[in-house]
Amino acid sequence: MDLSYTAAEEEFRNELRSWLQANIPAEWKAPGFWESLDDDESFRLRRDWERDKALAGFAGIQWPTEFGGRGGTPGMKAIYDVEMVLADAPRTVNPLGLTFLAPTVMAIGTDAQRKEIIGPMLRNEVIWCQGFSEPGAGSDLAALTTKGVRDGDDFVVNGQKVWTTNAVHGDKIFTLVRTEQGSQKHRGISMLLIDMNQPGVDARPLKQMSGASEFGEVFFDDARVAATDVLGEIGEGWRTAMLLLSFERGASGISQYTEFRRQYDEIAAVAKALGKDEDPVLRGKLARVLTELECLRLHSMYVLTRTEQGKDLGFEASMTKLQWSEAFQDLWEVYDDILGEDATLESLSIDGTDFDLRPMNAQAMWSRSVTIWGGSSQVQRNVTAERVLGLPR
Amino acid sequence: MFFALTSDQQEFGAAVRGYLADRFDTDAVRAVVDDQDGDGHPASLWKAAAEQGWLAVTVPEENDGLGLGLIEAQVIARALGAGVAPGPWRGTVLAAEAIRLAGSDEQKAAWLPRLAAGDAVGAFTLRGATPGTLPNVEYGAVADVIVARSGDGLALVEKGAFTATPLRSYDGTARVASVEVEGAGEALPGATAEVAAELEARATVLVAADLTGVAREALSRTVAYDREREQFGVPVGSFQAIKHALADLHVGITMAEHASLYAAHAVDEKQDDAALAVAVAKAKASDVALQATAAMIQYHGGIGFTWEHEAHFFYKRAKRLAGQYGDGDAQREKIATLTI
Repeated sequence: MDLSYTAAEEEFRNELRSWLQANIPAEWKAPGFWESLDDDESFRLRRDWERDKALAGFAGIQWPTEFGGRGGTPGMKAIYDVEMVLADAPRTVNPLGLTFLAPTVMAIGTDAQRKEIIGPMLRNEVIWCQGFSEPGAGSDLAALTTKGVRDGDDFVVNGQKVWTTNAVHGDKIFTLVRTEQGSQKHRGISMLLIDMNQPGVDARPLKQMSGASEFGEVFFDDARVAATDVLGEIGEGWRTAMLLLSFERGASGISQYTEFRRQYDEIAAVAKALGKDEDPVLRGKLARVLTELECLRLHSMYVLTRTEQGKDLGFEASMTKLQWSEAFQDLWEVYDDILGEDATLESLSIDGTDFDLRPMNAQAMWSRSVTIWGGSSQVQRNVTAERVLGLPR
Repeated sequence: MFFALTSDQQEFGAAVRGYLADRFDTDAVRAVVDDQDGDGHPASLWKAAAEQGWLAVTVPEENDGLGLGLIEAQVIARALGAGVAPGPWRGTVLAAEAIRLAGSDEQKAAWLPRLAAGDAVGAFTLRGATPGTLPNVEYGAVADVIVARSGDGLALVEKGAFTATPLRSYDGTARVASVEVEGAGEALPGATAEVAAELEARATVLVAADLTGVAREALSRTVAYDREREQFGVPVGSFQAIKHALADLHVGITMAEHASLYAAHAVDEKQDDAALAVAVAKAKASDVALQATAAMIQYHGGIGFTWEHEAHFFYKRAKRLAGQYGDGDAQREKIATLTI
């Protein structure tokens, strides 16, 4: 058992921490700052800040230097994720590109794609969206019907994608398209890299139950894409998608723990302020959530260990998703329990002091989404039961 | 970062599991369960425990032990739990731990080599105090020495200085006794409140590890059965109502395994978060073992409710150990105190 990081990793932590301290304006950390901005302004600020961070060398932590990355260790990536949370750093505006597309391009992209995609993504010159889900293809992704018909050197694409993160800010979208007409299920699909800034692509925001519009829907109406703008082979899009999704299995649990543990401490402080911290039922509920969060922390150390050993977690990744998403949702249910009827209020006066509850409410609303996106809890349980435990399909 | 068992530690666990599978399987456990008037202390198993170092694990090398840590001990505990194995292993290890941490040099010399070699059986309890009644002592009736509370500290009570009355327990995989102690016993001079708390932590981790073994084996056996058992023309394990319950148990048990491993490390290394780690480990292990063993009965259907089937060994062991050193709710109250 050795739960420490190497000297080089700790040195990296110090460098990153210094940069973050010097480069995150104080007002950005003020309560309500980000909520006070309109969506475009918020996106622009984060986009530019993230570019500067990349230029300072704090991006693509684990990527090879030949691709503009830092060539760091899995431990450095875990440290990076944690320090970003601790510094209240803005969230990335290019999450789908950075997490999924870039490593896939490094693995199976052409030399031209590696050159054209990775650098501009790191500098946020191109914001990438993911075009997977459709109105009729959610958990059953292979039911997708968006089609691409060959026309000379291009594919002409028609159909609709939905739940697309950053849809209205996107420049390009890696999209699963049925390019073999009449094909069934996971056959005959290609992953096309489609320019969203063209007349045939229309992105519209979708307002979420929280009131925010982080995602949207994307309509393709005779959109054109060169047949060479395919990631992996034509007709092998499902294989490409499975490879791409496998890159979610990183060591992000440690930063999620860091974030959720801070939220736990905030919620415990609310319980105290309201004089509910001696209520034995609420104490038991808080402790139950804390237990799951501590387990998440330990599990992420286990995952990091496996990653450093070069072992693929494979279908065990479903367990990570279940653990963090269910624990996070439970945490915010306890928050609601503590506030009771007042949980829905935008502000609350305690001993003459007004507390703005909107950031808490936003988390509580967001917590309903995490057990759906990225594979619902029910899908994860099926995967765990069938692929890990070996129960029959 | 290395959060895992080393290959040596893994081999230690595999050796215990291998011995139990080959030489002391659930048929052997059944013989102990059915012999309710017996001492529940099979000689063959005790001999193996002594020969293979299960008893010597945490005893220092200068006292003829292996000088290993709580991590190795919890590896053994987990394997014994998975095998629903009877015998006074835990009491002997914990009595030795108490003497190691709080005993005089003379006490160490007198007891540690004998406990490590299986020549003496130890018992350990934190309920009751000497002089007086120790209400529920694991294997109190076969113990040569019992470590118990005495005043503000801890004392050794030797065979002859106590009277043990076996108690009937529906957990037939162990034996318990009520113990009357007339004198105070022989004080352990180093037994400060801090040391007593560390011993409670060590005991709690070993019980948590036993429970994770119980839970994991209960799940494995249930999965194996539900892959084969057919109803409506298909294996019942193909039904999502069962799949999802078993998947959740797999996640929960894995977390409990992480938690008892980490708690052992935190106690050995005297980390700041050791108390929290121990409470988390026991809370998680208690809950998940109760869930997994109840699920074992439920997802075997009627056969799981019979005496003939082994499910009740697991269920009853979990029932007893889930409450030892504080059940899930008691641990959660500790967690709340530490974090709110």
